[in-house]
Amino acid sequence: MKRELYNKMMAMQASRRSVLKGAAGASVAALGASTALGAFTAPAFAASDLRAEMLKVPGVGVGSPTDADWRKVGELALGPTKDRVSEGEFAGVELTFMGLNNQNLHNFLFRGFLKPWEAYTGAKINWIDLAQSDYNARLQQSIATGTVDFDIIEMGAPFEGDVAGKGLASEMPDWVREQIDMDDYVDYLKAPVGTWAGKTYRVSIDGDCHNFNYRTDYFTDEDLAAAWTDEGNDGPWEVPTTWQKVQAVTKFLKGKKIGGQDANGYLDPLKGWGGFGFYFLGSRATAYAKHPDDPNWLFDADTMKPRVNNPAWVRAIQDVLDTIDSQPPDQINADPGTTGFQQFLAGTGSMLSWWGDIGSNAKTSDSSVVGDVVGFDILPGSDDVYNASTGNWDTLASGPNHAPNMAYIGWGVYVMARVDGDSLKHKAAWSAAAHLGGKDISLWASAYPSGFQPYRNSHFNIPEWVGAGYDEAFITNYLASQANSYNHPNAAIEPRIPGIFQYYSVAEDELAKIYAGQFDAQTGADNIAAAWEKITDQIGRDNQIALYKASLGL
Amino acid sequence: MAAPPQFEHARYTQNRGAPIPAARQSMGRALIWFGSLGLLAMILLQILDATGTLPIGFENWRPTLYAYVAWAVALGTGQVLVRGEPGWRALFVLPAALFTIAVVVFPTLFGFYIASLDWNLSSLDGPKFFGFGNLVLLMQDPFYWNSLLNMVYYVALVLVEYAIAFGLALLLNADIKARKFFRVAFLLPFMLSPVAVSWMIGKSMLESRFGPVASFLRDIGVESPTFFSSPWVARLSIEVMDAWMTIPFMMILLLAGLQALPREVVEAAKVDGANAWQSFWKITFPLMLPVSVTAVLIRTIFKLKLADIVINVTSGGPGGATDTVSSFIFRVYRDRSNVGYGTALAVFYLIAIIIFLILMLRVANRLTRNVTDQ
Repeated sequence: MKRELYNKMMAMQASRRSVLKGAAGASVAALGASTALGAFTAPAFAASDLRAEMLKVPGVGVGSPTDADWRKVGELALGPTKDRVSEGEFAGVELTFMGLNNQNLHNFLFRGFLKPWEAYTGAKINWIDLAQSDYNARLQQSIATGTVDFDIIEMGAPFEGDVAGKGLASEMPDWVREQIDMDDYVDYLKAPVGTWAGKTYRVSIDGDCHNFNYRTDYFTDEDLAAAWTDEGNDGPWEVPTTWQKVQAVTKFLKGKKIGGQDANGYLDPLKGWGGFGFYFLGSRATAYAKHPDDPNWLFDADTMKPRVNNPAWVRAIQDVLDTIDSQPPDQINADPGTTGFQQFLAGTGSMLSWWGDIGSNAKTSDSSVVGDVVGFDILPGSDDVYNASTGNWDTLASGPNHAPNMAYIGWGVYVMARVDGDSLKHKAAWSAAAHLGGKDISLWASAYPSGFQPYRNSHFNIPEWVGAGYDEAFITNYLASQANSYNHPNAAIEPRIPGIFQYYSVAEDELAKIYAGQFDAQTGADNIAAAWEKITDQIGRDNQIALYKASLGL
Repeated sequence: MAAPPQFEHARYTQNRGAPIPAARQSMGRALIWFGSLGLLAMILLQILDATGTLPIGFENWRPTLYAYVAWAVALGTGQVLVRGEPGWRALFVLPAALFTIAVVVFPTLFGFYIASLDWNLSSLDGPKFFGFGNLVLLMQDPFYWNSLLNMVYYVALVLVEYAIAFGLALLLNADIKARKFFRVAFLLPFMLSPVAVSWMIGKSMLESRFGPVASFLRDIGVESPTFFSSPWVARLSIEVMDAWMTIPFMMILLLAGLQALPREVVEAAKVDGANAWQSFWKITFPLMLPVSVTAVLIRTIFKLKLADIVINVTSGGPGGATDTVSSFIFRVYRDRSNVGYGTALAVFYLIAIIIFLILMLRVANRLTRNVTDQ
């Protein structure tokens, strides 16, 4: 679990009043969420003794876990390792693990989790700790200069193209697949994610996606409802579920007041964020661009021709342009961090696409004023979707097209191919990775501060969370927005090709010019496409096509 | 520790009086030749290994570094053996010169080499020789030229900063109350980190919704005050933050110059009936010209490196209006792993800066020479 979410739980449970207010505020979201989560909660299986015992370390509400707790969890989770590895089997084996040190989590937990594993197996692990900002450069330089000096790496799926695509990763043995129970993964983390050309490389330890955060007080405000009807808008005043309605609501709210303050609709981050800002245009575009019959939505897999200038993406860009004047002043200088933490959480704006951090900060952040009035859902859909093969806009019989944006896909543990030549080292490295990505240990990591989100179907078993001491109303509501995105049949999966952030970074520069009024949407999108073509040519078009197809499992 | 007097005397006599034995000179020359050949051989072997022509199995380029150090020792020893006392004297300079070659000259030349490569870290093919290809791309890159144009604006504003700094220096040079306090107080912004200024001022005080400056402007009737939304306002906001930090530096240079002015000249002007205005333009300003030129030159060099505030506050926006060459190169390198092109941008910028500064120095020399001649 992200540290903020854990803190939020603790804060809520410290105040019954907060729980009640939060539950009331989240009720709208819970209505939509309960259906999908029912799939997980209905069987309501009794938590195993081991899992229940693990979740009591150190105990919800008794303070943040320490290294001693991480070691204890690691000890409790050793069962699957003991089934496959005899005591002392890896004596003399040394492994190097490269990962992050964000918020004193990630590698810090891994150290504790793996201590009992080291003691049992006899292997020794050396650690390379990196700040998030140094990660990409360190990884790319290691690859480019042929100085890969680590055996196991904690890595985001978008980098798979750079590592697995270049043959630097070790293929997962079948016994690991069995040990970690990969069938338990949420749908979008199953193949082809984590696989290349049919081979599996990734032990998932996290999940990521953008969801839709909204203000419940806006959509229960009687004055706004009356004004909405008076102005002749279609349909009732309600939380938008399509981008068409998001646009209408955002334009409608311009000049309106709520609680005496200026009302604002959807918030677009219009300033770049080291490539990460492009995810936010992606969240607007997926409903238009990701057709249920086509796994591609950003490039054509056969040619690597960018789709970013097709009518779907241009429509998404135009949507942004159409609402810039309805957004807060100085929005042109708002990056995603600003929209999330300085605007939405601080009370500006009523709708926002973001990762789960917004929900987890809503009540615990000192600057948040929306904790009691925030709701969650999957990203809005669209009444029609662009069909890239026919060039037409299709209206689906099933209703609006939803395509949740699986932005960044989450962290995983990968073993490097350099261990393949040494069978003992190979087994040791994979055993360590499997230990970290085990089914039980991952539940603990989801429930306590770890830096990781739930990513297995078994993580959404609400009775286990409640049994551990969590408030049922909030955890149900919050997890539903994640689960419904993860398991959506038309989820838009990010292309896992080398240099994907180069594409995003260039796009941010061009989008900045569009938003500043220097180009219209189509011209600007054409510029992005042209810049992307150059990147593809520089990195190597044939390789990119092959790797993109491999990432799609084609 | 000082050498014994007898030894010093003997060596002096030997080198000034008696010729250095031929055998010793030959040994010295041989040492230099062997060292040089060893270095060249090691470089050649490493290149052959790196290109795969002659696989030897070097793990890194450290052998060349060791060969360079060995060559440096051989060169130094050889100098002493061949040249005697002048060789000893050379030893005082040689290590510094060789160190400079290793950490300045070589990296610069290596930078030129990298600039000639098509090298994207994500490319499976690795670096490829691209000749002047990056230069051609640079010429066609509107983002680079946009950032260069922004640099022209930023550098032009150095003159405004200079005028303000001069004014403050005159103020602090005058006989005012709490002069020492003001001198320290005015220096404080220069002590701040640009990153801190970016966040404290750019992202907090100038924040358009809750920032105190925006709140104040709203209170006095300005509607929707923003500081980074329109191109020129954003540029000026960046300039104000940068100037606020660095004007104290110029001010302190100019203040030192003012304090070094010969008082008798200024007082003579007063005796001759010059008023303050005339005294400044006819006496103070011309005499301060050498210091002024130095201050403007150093400030210009600082300005040409402007990046941190831009990266933190605007990321170059809106629409590239505040982008600087350094912040653009930062994106090309960090976000796009485009090593060859990024280096080419930096090398081109370096050359442009050198040419610009040489021209500036010539103009400055002419100006100061005119003053000196008068």
